[in-house]
Amino acid sequence: MRIWTSEHVFDHPWETVTTAAMQKYPNPMNPSVVGVDVLQRHVDAGGKLHSHRLLSTEWGIPAIVKSLIGTCRTKTYVQEHSVVDPVKKTMELKSSNISFTNLVSVDERLVYKPHPQEPDKTILTQEAIISVKGVSLSSYLEGLMANTISSNAKKGREALEWVINRLNAEIEEFAASARGTMRNSIAAAAFAEK
Amino acid sequence: MNSVGEACTELKREYDQCFNRWFAEKFLKGESSGDPCGQLFKRYQLCVQKAIKEKDIPIEGLEFMGPSKGKTENSS
Repeated sequence: MRIWTSEHVFDHPWETVTTAAMQKYPNPMNPSVVGVDVLQRHVDAGGKLHSHRLLSTEWGIPAIVKSLIGTCRTKTYVQEHSVVDPVKKTMELKSSNISFTNLVSVDERLVYKPHPQEPDKTILTQEAIISVKGVSLSSYLEGLMANTISSNAKKGREALEWVINRLNAEIEEFAASARGTMRNSIAAAAFAEK
Repeated sequence: MNSVGEACTELKREYDQCFNRWFAEKFLKGESSGDPCGQLFKRYQLCVQKAIKEKDIPIEGLEFMGPSKGKTENSS
């Protein structure tokens, strides 16, 4: 069994990071995630939002292999449960694979909170528990997977930055268009008064 | 982003748009009452459940479970 942990600070407020995390896919850093579905979602009596999601991933298996084994079987699936508490400002995300569970289990946990010293920033703590089953090289394979998880975590953080930029650009575009409309209305009103 | 069921992608997009707006403009600002996306979610969910069965994806009856942590309010 291998445990991998990491901590990262985003230079954005918690609300921005959480909004981006809910819309993380698609993004160019994680091209293997090809499908995301919400299976269940509700706000509990404590006001926390629970979401159960299914992620489909495609690892670029060569076409000839796909044609031999049938395309349905080249996707791997991950299920994810997230809880967002808007009062305490925490978002916790847990995911585990539901494909190949007889061979490997990867359980990940991510927690996003405002940075305790710098409230306009967000701290992400992340951990993964990896277990390869029934194979004598399991320790080595677990090490390989930990490296993959580490580089994927870096991509995941870059992905959030990408989504945040996209959302900010959309807001700016909307504001610019609203300003343009207002200027036109004022000009038209001024002209009409003459 | 696509859905696991190709036929569900458009329903998913409509629901996602509604949810993302509600999440950022209402939920995170402390106004979680009301569920403007309920109808869209129901239609989308029916489609996804069908696709999951057809593709034999090993979800253990998740969509048939109620809220797992004991509290009962279910807005989906």
